Amino acid sequence: MARKTNLYDVSKCIACRACQVACKDWNQLPAVIEPFKGNYQTHKDTNGDTYTIVKFIEHEDDPAADVQWNFLKYQCMHCFEPACMDVCPRKCIYINDWGAVLKDYDNCIGCQYCSYACPFHIPKYRKRQDIVTKCTLCYERVEEGLTPACVRTCPTDALQFGDRDELMQYAEERVKFLRVNGFPNATIYGKFELGGLNMLYVLTDSPDKFDLPVDPKVPGQIPFWQNWVQPYLGWLIPLALLGSATSFVTTRILANKHGEHGEGGHE
Amino acid sequence: MQWVPEYRDDINRVERFNAVARITHWGHTVTFILCLFTGLVLFCDGMDWLATIFGGYAGAGLVHRIAAVLLTLFIAFFVLFDFKGIISWVKDLLRFGMNDIIFVMKFPLDFLGLPVKMPPQTRFNGGEKGNSMLTPTCVIFLVLSGYIMWFPAIFPAGLVRVAYPTHDIAMVFATFMVCMHGYLGSFHPGSGESFWGMWKGTVREDWAKHHHPIWYEEAYGEKADAEKE
Ligand code: HEM
Ligand code: HEM
Ligand code: SF4
Ligand code: SF4
Repeated sequence: MARKTNLYDVSKCIACRACQVACKDWNQLPAVIEPFKGNYQTHKDTNGDTYTIVKFIEHEDDPAADVQWNFLKYQCMHCFEPACMDVCPRKCIYINDWGAVLKDYDNCIGCQYCSYACPFHIPKYRKRQDIVTKCTLCYERVEEGLTPACVRTCPTDALQFGDRDELMQYAEERVKFLRVNGFPNATIYGKFELGGLNMLYVLTDSPDKFDLPVDPKVPGQIPFWQNWVQPYLGWLIPLALLGSATSFVTTRILANKHGEHGEGGHE
Repeated sequence: MQWVPEYRDDINRVERFNAVARITHWGHTVTFILCLFTGLVLFCDGMDWLATIFGGYAGAGLVHRIAAVLLTLFIAFFVLFDFKGIISWVKDLLRFGMNDIIFVMKFPLDFLGLPVKMPPQTRFNGGEKGNSMLTPTCVIFLVLSGYIMWFPAIFPAGLVRVAYPTHDIAMVFATFMVCMHGYLGSFHPGSGESFWGMWKGTVREDWAKHHHPIWYEEAYGEKADAEKE
């Protein structure tokens, strides 16, 4: 089945946070109230009961101009090659047939490996259930022919959901348009990053101006752990058992041959 | 067939490990093995049967944490109640010398049961010195990385990511050593007598003279006797 993608066009976002509320509503998540931190952003980061947030990023690049505000809807990117899926020891993360990265919470043990393997550190621990949660791309809604709750709610059509190829075309047109209309650094995010993300962004400036890693990478310790330590190193243990078993047999055979060890040991 | 060498109280015996050392040793042995089996369910694939023994994966996680805390407490107990013992242990390890190097090089033959003549050993022989350095180091890394993995939110994310491979590497090396060590400290005909040193506290005097002559001489020999008087 063709990929279905969520597209977020930052140039159309007015930071009303309706998506944030719709997400809470649909997923029946309790409010998480964080203290006021001196800016308009409600939550510092995603959390166990908050799958999506709108970031308010302030820039003062041009001292003559006012403070520049960049908004960013932030949630799981639904990577084509999800690091979270690789590390899960319970294998409870999977990609469905249209590209959503999903979790089977019945098997989750709350170890939080996925949280730290994710290049964006998106999945978060939900203490009351001892599980780690994240955005589901509203797969239940999509399977019923609806769009995700955030997309459905967005009053400016900054969020759109549908066939990835069509949305990619649309995104490319938007970027072309923005580049000649005052945003020379406009770019698409999610086309090539990490081998592709099933969440596309149309950005009006380079990704770092939106708190996004320019060239996101899975932190090096994670592939080292998964590709070297886990599959190979463990074989030392059966080797030690085999060595001991060999010695157990040979010592007893040789003892018969050379006669019993003298009192108290050798000779 | 003989498993552990017979315990002989008709032969003169000398003390090798005091009660604190023995309680600590068996305490951390049991908790280490519990941690190992409950950890392996995540490290290896297809371990559902092992997880079932602990009441599923959530149960295994709980047992891992309880055993981990007890393991930590046993280490603390050792440090608090036999600090002098630890110091003299470390001092003995620092006496690593030529006799230990020769011991370790010849050891594979002894391990298989071939008759070899070993140079005289101090309280801990070359192999035991190696074990005493490597295994506790791995256990310390297991404890440190383990608590970081348990409470990742209070540590920097970079440290948590380092803790994952650290926990596994330390687990593998410690378990490798423990497999050999557990065997040598029990079923190996030559060194099996040391099992009683760890279980009842004493070993046969003739075994001590033969396997650890330097230690025997210093602790129970004529000179030591003279010093005591
Ligand atoms: C103070 C000591 C320890 C603490 C606090 C600790 C804690 C942890 C935690 C939190 C995990 C993550 C999985 C979960 O959430 O259940 C874990 C995994 C694991 N632990 Fe420990 N642990 C300790 C000691 C040990 C020891 C002594 C061993 C083995 C000899 C061990 C072997 C493992 C293994 C094999 C895993 C699975 C790693 C993987 O998924 O690849 N741990 N431990
Ligand atoms: C599996 C069962 C085990 C048995 C039968 C066993 C037996 C023994 C014995 C007999 C000794 C005394 C050796 C001597 O006379 O010097 C000893 C010492 C020691 N044990 Fe164990 N042990 C076991 C498990 C463990 C585990 C799990 C650890 C640590 C994680 C451990 C760590 C040590 C250390 C550090 C020493 C002192 C150094 C040495 O003598 O090698 N042992 N053990
Ligand atoms: S963004 Fe993170 S949580 Fe989402 S699929 Fe990628 S690795 Fe997994
Ligand atoms: S927290 Fe749950 S989903 Fe994440 S890696 Fe652990 S078991 Fe898998």
